[in-house]
Parts: sequence; C-alpha cells; structure tokens
Amino acid sequence: MGNEGGRNDATPILTLEELNRLREIAENARKNVIKMLFYDQTLHVGSSLSSIEIVTLLMFKYLRFGRDPLNRDYFILSKGHAAPALYAVMAEKGFIPEDELWKIQDISSILQGHPEIFIPGVDMATGSLGQGLSFGIGIATGIKMRGGTGRVFVDMGDGEHDEGEVWEAITHAVTRKLDNLIAIVEVNNFQLDDSVDSVKPKGYLPKVYEAVGWAVFEADGHDFVSLSEALEEALKAKRPSAIFARTVRGKGFPPIENTRKQRSSPDDARKHLINA
Amino acid sequence: MRDTLGRLLVELGERDKDLLVITADVGDSTRAIYFKEKYPDRYFNVGISEQDMVNFAGGLSIAGYKPVVVEFAMFLMRAWEQIRNSIARMNLDVKFIVTHSGYSDHADGSSHQALEDIALMRVLPNMKVIVPADPADIRRALPVVLEELKGPTYFRIGREYSPSITEGLDYQFKLGKGFVLRDGDDVAIMGAGVVLWDALKAAEELNKMGISAAVINLLSIKPIDEQLIEYYARKTGRIVTIEEHSIYGGIGSAVAEVVVKRYPVPMRFVGATTFGRSARSQRELLDYYGITWKSVVNQAMELMK
Repeated sequence: MGNEGGRNDATPILTLEELNRLREIAENARKNVIKMLFYDQTLHVGSSLSSIEIVTLLMFKYLRFGRDPLNRDYFILSKGHAAPALYAVMAEKGFIPEDELWKIQDISSILQGHPEIFIPGVDMATGSLGQGLSFGIGIATGIKMRGGTGRVFVDMGDGEHDEGEVWEAITHAVTRKLDNLIAIVEVNNFQLDDSVDSVKPKGYLPKVYEAVGWAVFEADGHDFVSLSEALEEALKAKRPSAIFARTVRGKGFPPIENTRKQRSSPDDARKHLINA
Repeated sequence: MRDTLGRLLVELGERDKDLLVITADVGDSTRAIYFKEKYPDRYFNVGISEQDMVNFAGGLSIAGYKPVVVEFAMFLMRAWEQIRNSIARMNLDVKFIVTHSGYSDHADGSSHQALEDIALMRVLPNMKVIVPADPADIRRALPVVLEELKGPTYFRIGREYSPSITEGLDYQFKLGKGFVLRDGDDVAIMGAGVVLWDALKAAEELNKMGISAAVINLLSIKPIDEQLIEYYARKTGRIVTIEEHSIYGGIGSAVAEVVVKRYPVPMRFVGATTFGRSARSQRELLDYYGITWKSVVNQAMELMK
C-alpha cells in the first residue's frame, strides 16, 4: 500500500464548506436514488448507493468538463448497473433535469437501465462488466500521445474483477505508463448471486495490482476526506493508480444495507424518505 | 493477401498521421508488423488480449485517433461482445481488418479457421462488412474504408492463397455496391472472397454446356447491393451463392434476405456447413468441403431442371 509523496502540509484536503456541500449533494442524490423505487422496482439500488460518494466527489471536485477532448477528464462507470447513482449525481450537476430521474427506464426516457453514450455526461456506454478499464486505457493513451492534460477515472466493482478482460487491462495499463489513469475499485463484497467472498474471495486484489506495477491506495468509499486524500495521492503518482474504496452496498437505506438485496418496496422507500 | 495488406497499411499510414494499428500479438502473421517498422509510435501490440484490444481501440477513437485493429478473424470473434457492446453500440470509428479467414489458415485446423465471422458481424447494428476477392480488390477497397468510411467496419481477408480474380478490372469500390464480373442470362452466381475464382470457372464450364451464367462480386456484404441482386434475380430467375463461410447466416443468407423481399427466385447455397480441419493447402480444403466450381455447376444444373 503506497503513500507516494505523502501529505505534510497543514491545509485541509477539503474545507468545511466544501465538505458540507458535498455531503448535501450526496444526501440528495442518495434520496433520489431511493425515490426512484417509487417509479421502478427493478433498479440496482444497492450497488448505486455503494457508489454515491465516489461519483459525487469526482463530479463535483475532480472532473474537469469541457469540449476539448484532450484537455478534459473522463468518467467511466464500468459497473454500469450503478447507473441510478450516476444519473442522480448528474441531475445535481444540472446535466439532466431532476424530473427525468422519475422516468428512469421508461420507454420515453433518455435514462436507460445502463449508461448509454447519448445520455449527457456519459463518457462510455457500459452495462457489460469488465470493459471500462480497457476503454479508459485507450482514452488515456490517446490523450498522452497528443500531449493533452485529460485524466480518466474508471469506477469498477469488486465482483467485476471476475472478468478476464480486467486482467488483460491491468497488465496493459502499466506498460503504457499511464499516470493519467485512475481506477477506483469499490470493495462492498457483494456480487449478483452472493457475497464476493463466497463466490471467489478477492482480498488479494490490492496486492495483485501492486505486483503488476500500479500505485495502490485505500480509502473509505463513503468518506469524502478519505477519498480525497487517496485521489490526491493517486493524481501525483507517475503510473496508473488504483484506489480500493471500502463501501457498503445499500449504504444509507436500512432495508437493504449491507445485504445482497438490490432493492426494496416503494413502501419501504416512502417510509425511509419520510423519516429521513 | 496479407502482404498486400501490410504494405498498403504503411502507405495509408503515411497519408494519415492519425491512423493507428493495434494488434493482439499477431503483428508478424498479419503483416501489421510492416506498419510498426515504419511508425513504431503508432503501433500497439497489446499482447494476447483480444477483449482488451477492442475496448482499447474504442478509447483511442474517443481521443481522436483512427484505430485499425488487425487480428486473425477467428480470435477477434473472442471479443465479439466487446465489439457489440462498445464499438457498435457507441458507433465508434474503429476499423477491424481480419486475416486468416475461412480455410486460409489451412495447417492450423479448425481452431483457427473462421467460418462464422461474417454472420456474427453482419448482425451488428452500425457494422459494415467488406469481403474483397483478391489483392486488387484490397487495393481498391481499403483506402476507401480507412479514409472515407466512418464508423465500425469489418474487412475480411485470407492469407497467401489468392488466385487473380479482379486484377485489371477498372471498377472502383463503393460501399453498398456489387460488381458484375461476367454477365449472363440463365443463372447468377453471387459471392465474395477468393471463392469467386470458382464462381468464374463454374460460369465458363456452364457456358460450354450452353448455360449463360453471370458472376457477381458482392464485396460489400453489409450494406449489400439490393438493386443489383434484384436485377439479376429478375434477369436470370436462378441464383447460386458461394462463400468460404458457413451457409448459415453468411453471404448466401444475406442474398436470400434480399431475394425473398424483392423478387423471390429459387436459390442454392455453396459454402461450409461444419468445422474445418488441417490440410496441406487452402485449395485442398475447399475441394474437401465441396466449396468449388464443380459444386456451383451442379447446383446451377439442378436449378435449370
């Protein structure tokens, strides 16, 4: 577990004002993901709630948006089933109207069950696991060849690491010396059928990344300060970085929190939102 | 065929500095290596990692490059889902040039012989499929594919075996256009790739028997030349297709889709129906599996009854 460079200045990584603002945005996004259950009961709410803080922090603090393809940042939600989290944060950002969120997966809505490239703010169509990192390597390589400053952030799941393409990608990234590529691996220990531990345990993953040649960091995936510290270090690293972010599936929604359950009833959602 | 490809890629790379060549450890076998010798900075061997290669190419296209994936037809199929879910679904400008298609990798046997790839690519939205007949067709089509066409394209060639089929003919490649190699009135033989040599030979043999056979080089399999197919369906009333590919879902199927829609006529299909095997030459395998001028003649005779 590297701590390349280390932080020795006394400036807080986030001001109290920033922190409060991020928490407010994340809370809104979280509520909106839960509220989506009123309208559609097939969403991957549990996986989405695992990603809220990561997506919020990237969208509101780190990602530089713009039209110049070489001097902007990219965000790839490789765990595409967490699309509700992405959409909810994008609504906070103003990329899509909040009203659109309630139409998610409706035939008339732009918001598909998994991210599509035609949705404003989406940089890669995902939904089939294991593909985002390879795509990110392509973007990051192209940017570096042209001397751009753009960076690529790829959000992946732990279960997703069952896919063989991820191995192809992590071994590829280091050969390109991509210091503009950051992978965030959400460690929530759940995948579709069961816990990650009972399917194929993945405790070795950080060591694997490290052995392959990545700069590896750990963070609490629901804590903005911890995530920011890891991201600051990752951005300084002279090679591809991976942040293993411990998260909780269903975080903040007790009926499903830290269980394999992806969703609960609209009634549960209503009760929760009234009390929240 | 692959030598023509390798040299042409170098030429095209000179004209377009955004052109990148990406391969999964088959640069030598596909002759993509010629490009590396000239432009090492624009050549990527990602290792034996076809799935990663496809998405990597997709990402490079987002950064504004024109990635050309060069791979064995068989092993690109391993990444079909990546092509489907990333490249075709996002309609990215990634070109796939595959070598060793059909039985052209005769020695390696069925594990290396791609007889299903046209069907798999043809079915994808946004994907274009081009099957040149010989080196002359490659020289006509590849510059257009790489310099003018936008979006995912599948360009399928073989290896060494390449009897001259279109050398000296003066047509220009155009997407969605087929070419008449020989006119005729009684039966139309349609196909693409090296087996058009057998189509022409069959037409000659049929001619000796007093049967006038047309031969059509379809070349652009998707989009396909519907007008030309309808024209010859009306003119001859009989069609035999020939392909170095499974007859299920391949070129014959593509022709049949047009024929039943626009002007139904009896058809016969010459092509593969099962896996290949090892042999000393590609020609030997075509003969072994009956993908030959003799089969075309027999099928045409049957239609004439």
